Amino acid sequence: MERRDFFKKAIVTAGAVATGTSTLEADETVHPIDNRKVSDIAFPEKRPLITYSDRPPLLETPREVFTSALTPNDLFFVRWHMPMIPNYINPNTFSISINGLVEKEIKVSLKELKTEFKQVELTAVLQCGGNSRTAFKPTAGGIQWGIGAMGCARWKGVRLKDVLKKAGLKKEAAWIGFNGEDKAVYNETANFVRELKLEHLNDNIILAYEMNGEDLPYLNGYPLRLIIPGNYSDSWIKMISNITATKEKQKLHFMEKAYRIPDNECECETPKNLVKKTKPIEEMNVNSIIGYPVTGTKVRNASPLVVRGVAFDGGHGIKKVQISIDGGKMWEDALLDDGSEGKYAYRAFTYTCKPKNSGKLTIMCKATNEKGEEQPFAKDIKWNHGGYKYNGIDEVTVEVV
Amino acid sequence: MKKLLFVVLFMSTTLFAQVNGGITVPYIDFPMKEGKGMYSTRGKCNMCHSWGYTLNQGLQSKKFWREKVMKMIVVFKAPIKTQEDIDTVVNYLFENYGNGKLE
Repeated sequence: MERRDFFKKAIVTAGAVATGTSTLEADETVHPIDNRKVSDIAFPEKRPLITYSDRPPLLETPREVFTSALTPNDLFFVRWHMPMIPNYINPNTFSISINGLVEKEIKVSLKELKTEFKQVELTAVLQCGGNSRTAFKPTAGGIQWGIGAMGCARWKGVRLKDVLKKAGLKKEAAWIGFNGEDKAVYNETANFVRELKLEHLNDNIILAYEMNGEDLPYLNGYPLRLIIPGNYSDSWIKMISNITATKEKQKLHFMEKAYRIPDNECECETPKNLVKKTKPIEEMNVNSIIGYPVTGTKVRNASPLVVRGVAFDGGHGIKKVQISIDGGKMWEDALLDDGSEGKYAYRAFTYTCKPKNSGKLTIMCKATNEKGEEQPFAKDIKWNHGGYKYNGIDEVTVEVV
Repeated sequence: MKKLLFVVLFMSTTLFAQVNGGITVPYIDFPMKEGKGMYSTRGKCNMCHSWGYTLNQGLQSKKFWREKVMKMIVVFKAPIKTQEDIDTVVNYLFENYGNGKLE
């Protein structure tokens, strides 16, 4: 990228300032930070979002967006690992290489992907493993996300399985490595390569070129990205251009060290006693977020208030979403949408209530999945050093006037 | 109805790029706190990534910042060569973006 061409307007991004001034001790998980403002400058193909970094771009979706099953492309969060992202990709010449332990190394162009393979569509939630990291005290390492490092889109593309089949995997192939077009500043820096164990390959894992009926936005991985429904987004490689089959797991920082949690039952540890044995974060746990109202919204007393939000899990399906307006003592079922977007998508929910008193009113939402797993209270979430997998019961506090 | 049909057809065939000729990512200034070692730290960290990436790690312990700096050197090959340079960056980070705890 040519730095000279950059828009040189210096601005102070109110939304992105260091946090973690809390003096709370370990194991006192709180609600994630929730009052950040969007930046006053928009990134390409995006509306203004909460902005943590421009190089690489790190953008969070504001809470108000989470009221429908699909997240608009221009409001969809952005998270890159490497700062050098191609700012132009020619769709007519772009291709993806399949190599390593294959019968025939091949390159497949975008056009071939769109015409020579079975086209599939699937709606799935894309969520960063560190979403809501600001809930963890002491402050866990990593970007201090609020609740908006997630989104849900209808993805269109081809099955990874079909593309691999065209190259023909050799018998000894056991791991599939993925690499995108983003690069570090120094050539010596290893690329952001992620791997999938071949036995985890399934029909739902797709190479997507379309998002909600449009080309992928550049910042969400144009022209092609990997979709792994049900899993956190750490392996959903953007601008994917290379796939390598290997026999052994490669030695990779981003696989060995990053996106890992303690390999024990509670998936927890303490800062003084970090757990040595770790595992990848992989499947998303059950979660729900209130999109409307937000904290600070003023609502009319004795007038119907329609609470809206979204719920999801790692693909077992949402059984129910419940709302509490008395601090979590009494819970009532919310209405769920018809679920037609499938089990990897958001379920949008609504709940109508009539505030009875003026003053502050706290609204909480809790999702339960088909496995019977339900969200814990924020304070009951146990700490891990990476601040991953937060799924505490969400709450907003409105003012009834 | 005809109009609606047209819109539907149009939508189902939008396989061309929404952006012709690529994008330009805006430059956003994330001001650094004034302090000893700021210029040295700026040169060593901001060459590769924005200051936002650093400051949005939250306020952290000295051990955390030292480990981050070492990770940048060992894993990401940041050209921070001498112990003196490492100490300058770690001290700047801890003094300005620290939580007051050594570890």
